[in-house]
Amino acid sequence: MAASFWESTQRRYWMFSKEELAQMREKLCDEDPKLVQSYPLPDWKYLYIYFNQQIARLGKRLSVRQQVIATAQLYIKRFYCKVEIRRTNPYLVITTALYLACKMEESPQHIRLVATEARSLWPDFLSLDTSRLGECEFFLISEMNSQLIIHQPYRTLATLQSDFYLTQDEINLSWSIINDHYVTDLPLLYPPHIVALTAILLSLVLRPNSMTGASAANNIAAAGAALAQAQVGRGGMAGGGTGASSGQTTPGAPGTTDKDKQQEARFGKVQRFAAFVAESQVDIEAMVDCTQEMISFYEVHEQYNDKATRDQINRFIKARGLDKA
Amino acid sequence: MSLTNPHSSSSAPSSARVQGMKRSVQAAFDDPSDRGLGSGYQSKVRVVDRYKVIGFISSGTYGRVYKAVGRQGQPGEFAIKKFKPDKEGEQIQYTGISQSAVREMALCSELANLNVIRLVEIILEDKCIFMVFEYAEHDLLQIIHHHTQNPRCPIPATMVKSIMFQLLNGCQYLHANWVLHRDLKPANIMVTSAGQVKIGDLGLARLFHKPLHSLYGGDKVVVTIWYRAPELLLGSRHYTPAIDMWAVGCIFAELLSLRPIFKGEEAKMDSKKTVPFQRNQMQKIVDIMGMPTKERWPYLTSMHEYSSLGMLQTPMMHHHSHQHHHGSSKSSASTSHLEEWYYRTIGTHSGSSTSSPAHGNPNNNNNNNLASLGAEGYKLLAGLLEYDPEKRLTAQQALQHPFFSTGDKVSNNCFEGLKTTYPQRRVSQDDNDIRTSSLPGTKRSGLPDDSLARPAKRVKEA
Repeated sequence: MAASFWESTQRRYWMFSKEELAQMREKLCDEDPKLVQSYPLPDWKYLYIYFNQQIARLGKRLSVRQQVIATAQLYIKRFYCKVEIRRTNPYLVITTALYLACKMEESPQHIRLVATEARSLWPDFLSLDTSRLGECEFFLISEMNSQLIIHQPYRTLATLQSDFYLTQDEINLSWSIINDHYVTDLPLLYPPHIVALTAILLSLVLRPNSMTGASAANNIAAAGAALAQAQVGRGGMAGGGTGASSGQTTPGAPGTTDKDKQQEARFGKVQRFAAFVAESQVDIEAMVDCTQEMISFYEVHEQYNDKATRDQINRFIKARGLDKA
Repeated sequence: MSLTNPHSSSSAPSSARVQGMKRSVQAAFDDPSDRGLGSGYQSKVRVVDRYKVIGFISSGTYGRVYKAVGRQGQPGEFAIKKFKPDKEGEQIQYTGISQSAVREMALCSELANLNVIRLVEIILEDKCIFMVFEYAEHDLLQIIHHHTQNPRCPIPATMVKSIMFQLLNGCQYLHANWVLHRDLKPANIMVTSAGQVKIGDLGLARLFHKPLHSLYGGDKVVVTIWYRAPELLLGSRHYTPAIDMWAVGCIFAELLSLRPIFKGEEAKMDSKKTVPFQRNQMQKIVDIMGMPTKERWPYLTSMHEYSSLGMLQTPMMHHHSHQHHHGSSKSSASTSHLEEWYYRTIGTHSGSSTSSPAHGNPNNNNNNNLASLGAEGYKLLAGLLEYDPEKRLTAQQALQHPFFSTGDKVSNNCFEGLKTTYPQRRVSQDDNDIRTSSLPGTKRSGLPDDSLARPAKRVKEA
């Protein structure tokens, strides 16, 4: 069903365990080990970072919204679960996924415009021929079994932001964490509401601009503590309905400093959030894992070598003539 | 690719192939499965291997529909909708799939409800899209048409009730899933030989949950004109599932009277491609429903075409012969004549010339004539044909209407207990080759009667 995530093809066919995901990728490699050995590629998390940057460039040129980019990113991930990347021209796949996502998210772009913009970004890897794009669209839709409707965490965030009294900063931070999760495997692993709740939690415990480096460890500790509290809370307050209101504190008394007030408000929100999670049926373990994946993504990002990744991708495209057509 | 079928348009060398020749021959041997390459996209499934086409059903702007049976043991019959590739006649090229086809493919893949036509599979092959649906022997247009044939006789009350319930149930499902159908009309409501009603043709349907752009932006004109809601006729930008409910009301009326209740003439788009005010259609509505007023419909005055209402004539019933004349001085322009229309329709149905009410029913089942639908039938109809989209019944509300809980029990087989048999869908043998791209005509083979000619579906993609 289009509205209910639980009935959706996304939940029924496009959610995997980590083991299943690993198996699918292994199977693709096993189909042609020689091909895989001839053209070594960095780990998927680095490839995703590269794709993300490239799709963002194209998205910017076409001025498409983040939601469209997110849908395209998930299309690419699904596609590469089923097709060996070394048999494709990733630039063509990126372009096609964005072209298709534009239509699905009701902001269509003309195929010629998309082809022209893509070509100007990657002149060595794409032709101007729109029929290549049209053909790749068939390929993409076919591999996805025409299951093109994507449920995104942005909607959950929009629904919950007032429940948690999120400030604009916190909303923005949650939003960008959701953007970032599309660079990871998370959208293939967890339902959108888990991702949205994780993003909200992180926005509450993280300071803006603190998502990198050593402070990440502290942040994950803070997030973990909140979830642990929620888990305990779930056991302890069977039927309890007081959690939500007790978590909310009114702004600090007169005389306290702004910083104190902020801290107090933040603390109150985390409490409130933990109480909400404790009371709801939300899969807390999934949130814990989601949190860890996000934090490790921010760490991975620091080690990412753009040039090496690009060179390895471009090498197999050129060597195998995948750009010709 | 198409060695078995020399007629296939794709047997000509495509540019893709020629280009493919240029690349390394060795690579071609190494990697027959490479994609995005000269070898091109190949479907894993071939439509002619999976299905045996047994005839041609109809064609439209989208392409053609064929009737088929499975070749690989799939039970039942199928309707295969083949989307017309662009650039008919020339060398067929991949040109990008139209947004409406993408929508229909994506929506049909998600939806699953007894009262919505079921998608079996989609095959993308030879630059064409084949959507395979379960087959339905009848549709409401054909059923209504059958009842107008000699002797003209109304559709039995139990059947009307069952059809309405199933239709509303399908609508409720679509709307609960944030899907607007946007083209409900008798021709798009399928009925299986087991009497199950199935909403079909989601070619104009789309999701309406928080669209990135106003719904108006994409398709300026939706819904075949006779079934188009007043808010659309008045230029509403932000329409809602209520537009489908208006169409359901029109279909209800048509099931009762066997003719479209608001049979207007469509004003064509002018050369500047501005959307004209559909004056004639609005007049037809006003004639029966009375002038809309801002008391009944508070947002009326903010409608884009509000001022155009002044162009309309004061409503009058065209079928005045049966009307009470005495009240005309008291009734204002906004008085609805729907109630009169309803009781006249369910009372004396067997032809406008005969004066013997209710006795002309050849079903010889007094309990099953339309009069048995009674006052609740009117209330349901009036609730669906409510001017104000916010007050109009939702599908959920309509399903809970006393109309369905009083009187005869609602069956999920609309043919239950009836002797009438309806003719099978006409299937022509002229074009059985699903793989050729012969120019589609615009005629529907199912209906020989051109006097029934319906206005064409208006699809205007921006």
